[in-house]
Amino acid sequence: MAVFDTPEEAFGVLRPICVQLTKTQTVENVEQLQAQLQAVSDSALQQLQQYILFPLRFALKTPGPKRERLIQSVVECLTFVLSSTCVKEQELLRELFSELSACLYSPNSQKPATVSEELKLAVIQGLSTLMHSAYGDIVVTFYEPSMLPRLGFAVSLLLGLAEQEKSKQIKIAALKCLQVLLLQCECDDHPRSLDELEQKQLGDLFAAFLPGISTALTRVITGDFKQGHTIVVCSLKIFYRTVGFIMADEQLRRISTVQEKPAVEHQVAKLMVHREADWVKSTGDKLTILLKKIIEGVSVHPHWKVRLELVELVEVLLLKCTQSLVESAGPLLKALVGLLNDESPDVQARCHKVLRHFADQKVVVGNRAFADILAEHLHSLATSLPRLMNSQDDQGKFSTLSLLLGYLRLLGPKVNFVLNSVAHLQRLSKALIQVLELDVADIKIVEERRWNSDHLSTSPKTSASRPWSQIQRRYFRFFTDERVFLLLRQVCQLLGFYGNLYLLVDHFLELYHESVVYRKQAAMVLNELVVGAAGLEVENLHEKHIKTSPEELSEIVTSILEEYTSQENWHLVTCVEAEEMGEELTMQQSGLQAITSGSSTCQVTSFPAFSKPSPTICSMNSNIWQICIQLEGIGHFAHALGADFRLLLMSALYPVLEKAGDQTLLISQAATSAMMDICLACGYDSLQHLINQNSDYLVNGISLNLRHLSLHPHTPKVLEVMLRNSDASLLPLVADVVQDVLDTLDQFYDKRATSFVGVLHALLAALAQWFPDTGDLGQPQAQSVGEKGSHSSPRPAALEKGLEKSTTAEDIEQFLLNYLKEKDVADGNVSDFDNEEEEQSDPPTVDENDTVPDVEPPRPVQIQIAADVMERCIHLLSDKNLKIRLKVLEVLDLCVVVLQSHKNQLLPLAHRTWPSLVHRLTNDDPLAVLRAFKVLRTLGGKCGDFLRSRFCKDVLPKLAGSLVTQATVSARAGPVYSHTLAFKLQLAVLQGLGPLCEKLDLGEGDLNKVADACLIYLSAKQPVKLQEAARRVFLHLMKVDPDSTWFLLNELYCPEQLTPPHPSLHPVQLRGAVGQQNPYTANVLLLLQELQ
Amino acid sequence: MAAPPPPPPDPQFVLRGTQSAVHALHFCGGAQGQGRPLLLSGSQRGLVHIWSLQTRRAVAILDGHRGQCVTWLQTLPQGHQLLSQGRDLKLCLWDLAEGRNTVVDSVHLESVGFCRGSILAGSQQHWTLAVPGRGSDEVQILEMPSKTSVCTLKPEADAKPGMPMCLELWQADSSPRPLLLAGYEDGSVALWDVSERKVCSRVACHTEPVIGLDFDSQKARGVSGSAEKALAVWSLDEQQALQVCGTHKLTNPGISDIKIRPDHKILATAGWDHRVRVFHWRTMKPLAVLAFHSASVHCVAFAPDGLLAAGSKDERISIWSLYPRT
Repeated sequence: MAVFDTPEEAFGVLRPICVQLTKTQTVENVEQLQAQLQAVSDSALQQLQQYILFPLRFALKTPGPKRERLIQSVVECLTFVLSSTCVKEQELLRELFSELSACLYSPNSQKPATVSEELKLAVIQGLSTLMHSAYGDIVVTFYEPSMLPRLGFAVSLLLGLAEQEKSKQIKIAALKCLQVLLLQCECDDHPRSLDELEQKQLGDLFAAFLPGISTALTRVITGDFKQGHTIVVCSLKIFYRTVGFIMADEQLRRISTVQEKPAVEHQVAKLMVHREADWVKSTGDKLTILLKKIIEGVSVHPHWKVRLELVELVEVLLLKCTQSLVESAGPLLKALVGLLNDESPDVQARCHKVLRHFADQKVVVGNRAFADILAEHLHSLATSLPRLMNSQDDQGKFSTLSLLLGYLRLLGPKVNFVLNSVAHLQRLSKALIQVLELDVADIKIVEERRWNSDHLSTSPKTSASRPWSQIQRRYFRFFTDERVFLLLRQVCQLLGFYGNLYLLVDHFLELYHESVVYRKQAAMVLNELVVGAAGLEVENLHEKHIKTSPEELSEIVTSILEEYTSQENWHLVTCVEAEEMGEELTMQQSGLQAITSGSSTCQVTSFPAFSKPSPTICSMNSNIWQICIQLEGIGHFAHALGADFRLLLMSALYPVLEKAGDQTLLISQAATSAMMDICLACGYDSLQHLINQNSDYLVNGISLNLRHLSLHPHTPKVLEVMLRNSDASLLPLVADVVQDVLDTLDQFYDKRATSFVGVLHALLAALAQWFPDTGDLGQPQAQSVGEKGSHSSPRPAALEKGLEKSTTAEDIEQFLLNYLKEKDVADGNVSDFDNEEEEQSDPPTVDENDTVPDVEPPRPVQIQIAADVMERCIHLLSDKNLKIRLKVLEVLDLCVVVLQSHKNQLLPLAHRTWPSLVHRLTNDDPLAVLRAFKVLRTLGGKCGDFLRSRFCKDVLPKLAGSLVTQATVSARAGPVYSHTLAFKLQLAVLQGLGPLCEKLDLGEGDLNKVADACLIYLSAKQPVKLQEAARRVFLHLMKVDPDSTWFLLNELYCPEQLTPPHPSLHPVQLRGAVGQQNPYTANVLLLLQELQ
Repeated sequence: MAAPPPPPPDPQFVLRGTQSAVHALHFCGGAQGQGRPLLLSGSQRGLVHIWSLQTRRAVAILDGHRGQCVTWLQTLPQGHQLLSQGRDLKLCLWDLAEGRNTVVDSVHLESVGFCRGSILAGSQQHWTLAVPGRGSDEVQILEMPSKTSVCTLKPEADAKPGMPMCLELWQADSSPRPLLLAGYEDGSVALWDVSERKVCSRVACHTEPVIGLDFDSQKARGVSGSAEKALAVWSLDEQQALQVCGTHKLTNPGISDIKIRPDHKILATAGWDHRVRVFHWRTMKPLAVLAFHSASVHCVAFAPDGLLAAGSKDERISIWSLYPRT
């Protein structure tokens, strides 16, 4: 299409149409004009503006009834012209404004004229475009008092449309138009900003509309959620922009008290508003009501953009109208604070930003009135908090606590105003204590046990990765939502951060003392206070706020720690066994106290009768939780203090370690994670590192507490845990304290042996583990030692060879030669050759001794310790208590393992232990026999020769005898028999006899005894497992003496007729008849196969 | 319900790690420790451990006596400087300022006995040192730090008190003349006027050698212990004459060290019976028996703030907080 750039060309084209339109005003003509206008350039159009507008305005102004359709197209055409040009004349602007507004004027009613929606939309857009096209300065002059009525009409017209129209489009257009009209448009077409005077004049003018605008918009905003969020967002925007403009503190400050006479007629002057103090006050009051309504409605609006706009509203109004809207500050802040934990992250982020902005601008802190209002709110919230916590559901609690949190954040250091009031602090703490009450009815807490006491060090590895802030799952009586707990923690942390820490800690420690009912909650609060005070996890909005200094903090932590770990708060009854252990009177007393006080918890908390947890269980649960919370606190403290916590380790590590060895799963978990926290805070790589580096502190505690064992019955446990989790570098210190342990044990043989035996066990296990070089000698090498002792090293090799392939004539010859040689040796005719061979076999022994690094003239410390312990074992082996005897046998076993390379120590001790051990083997409970037999096996492995004759004399007859007598029982027994102790004993003896025979290198007669006793068990009538074990005995016997074993087996059952290798030899007839089935057939066959 | 008797007192804490018997202890005011004092201990193996009482750990180990037992430790009042006497016949002067630990000077000793030295600090720079001398019964007085020998105190020929066993240099408030109290092998305690090189007074306190003594110059009273089963308390009158005020029986014989607390309220003895005994200084009433060590206690020391340390043959140092001053 051709474009007409010059006014002349355009005029030529447009003129006929304009004339036509002036004459006959039809829709077609208007449309034709508009079509032509499209082709005219903007600059040409600007020149011809007045000319083109004339026929259009004429069409609007023509009196008489008009068709809506025509008006609509005229308005649209007008809008088009205005959108491409700008209005430069004041008069034109006013007239156009009036003419356009008049299109929707109905003289009869207040409401906008009942015209079609399209027309309404067209007019609104026309007005909007008009205001945009007004050129520069004339806009300002447009808003003069004389325009007030006309403006008023337009404003009310638009408000009416926004409020009452059904079409969403019209509503939004009306709102946008209103925005433009009030000069609050956000588009870029308004380059000029107003100076102060102009702002004031405009403010004066608009103030007249404020009541209307604010009420109408409030109605829109608080209307149905279904009207869509855009409308509400727009309305909110206009609301706060308008209010923020008219009520701006900056403008109001310059208003003089006397109203200057405006140069307008009286009628209009009456409409003008003078914004003096009274007006501000009353308007502020009214706005407060409206704002409350808006906040109430909008803060729960389902759409997040609406809530976001509310945040903006709060920001603008609080920043601009601090003084004029002082009454509304409370509700506004509340709204903001309430949205801090909004579900939409955008709203949250915006809230945080606004809060930070406020803090930067010192809106709250710098303004007394604001701070007072907030403090007042906090006061009243604190007052009602206990009630709210009692009555609200989780969601309610969540929002209440969010509010509390927000107030604390905003108030920052000024929170102390509230805390300094005793009544309010009490209210606040009461609410916290109340809501944090734990549910202690769960029986599992007591039940769950750490069965495997050896694996403390493995559990922390799995939890090593977890962040310290994570804590054990708690079950609360009054809420289940985790978020509530999180909020509560944050509240406490903020209190710790901003509040007077001394005051708070004192207060909560007092509560902690006051009653068992409060103790756990108070401890939780204290833990979080310290974390907060250290500034961890706290977002500081107040930069000037000075944190609690590290010195003060560590002082406070020290005092709390002292409280936590004091005897009456740390050593609580957590399991039934604890009472058993507390044989001492004092312990029982404290135990009773804890139980009675604990049971009072249950009464106070008044469990419903049907749940019926016995008071003991619930008090024990409560105690367990308390210890866990305190442990967790120690972890928190470590984090709060960081490396400064190292100094506190000397008092804190010992109690934590004590709990790490606790039987209750939860406690030991909590203790382990506390130790992990300590590791992290103090820069230790691992628990082992922590324990090793601080073993001096631990040993100090252990040795001092051992002096008063009745007061500190758990001391051995600490040593136990320490030993399990550290390494050989600990040995010098351990040696020091072990002496104390043994001394104390000597004093308390009868009373406390149980716990000591546990320590001795841990100690020896640790030694055996720390010095594995001696342990290497253990099973495989010990065997070779035994073999060497038997002077028969060549034989097993030959035997093995023999087992591998069929016997050849050479083999037989070699065998015979060997046999003769050995016979010589046995007769004492030792040849040189033999000597050489023996010498050859000796060096390895020497080598072995060399490889042991600890072989030094003085006995190594661990050997000394083991010897000392073994000495005690001799006495303890005959303890009255079976459990102790069993444990002592285990310790003895370990002693032998540790001492194995130091025969000079081991043998005399073994000699002294022997009678007692024999007694266990022959005259004791089957369980003890079982263990004793295990010791015997170990002992046999380590000092074979030494034991041979003793074993044969003292033990073997009894064992063989019992095997024989028991065989008749087991042969007849049913399937249940395998679960009896007798069976296990038989099995153990059978399993152990073989290796023992081999290691002790028993003589022929004794071997026969063993074989005779075991032979019965080859019977198919015996339980399968016993048969297997018996077979294994024979396999060992084969190694020691294959020939006699072969012979013995063949006596029982002979699988084939033996044919002599040479006819000159006699045929052999053995007792076991060939081919005749008997109960032994199967096993004998199996064994003979092995032997072949 | 009758309250159970309070448990026997425990040490506040125990320092381990000297790895040999402890023979000398000395508290050193917070020159380095800032606030809390340091404790110095000398061991049989010739090492001097510097313990921080805050962390309860050794902060430094000084090795200057070639593995020979350290018998005496003393810091100079201006701080930073430590004297250590070893059985390698050397008295070392250490510089401990700013974490240094170097021997800046040493004095060769000529007596192999057990006698510990004593110092008297005069002005800032100069101080007097008393050490056992070349002759078996002599005491040598040195002017430090120049190491010039001032005099040798040798008992009169007919006295025959034997070797000096312990020394205590002091100065009366009234006169600037340095005085020396010396306990001798024959069980007597003698007061020497150092500048006149003569014995002012001598009194027989024990039948066994005097092993430890301490003197309270305010009350002009002193106490000494020996291998026998008693403590002797003696006083000094205006004429500078020593008089035995009384003896106090002990349960077990043998005292290896004796110290009066700086506030002159109590005194502590290190016993061969593994125990530290605490007495009221004015009345000599026994106040406490501190049983912790498992071998004889070799030395005791009081910190300026009243803390008591005891070092023993069992390689441990126990720290006790006793009747804290109010």
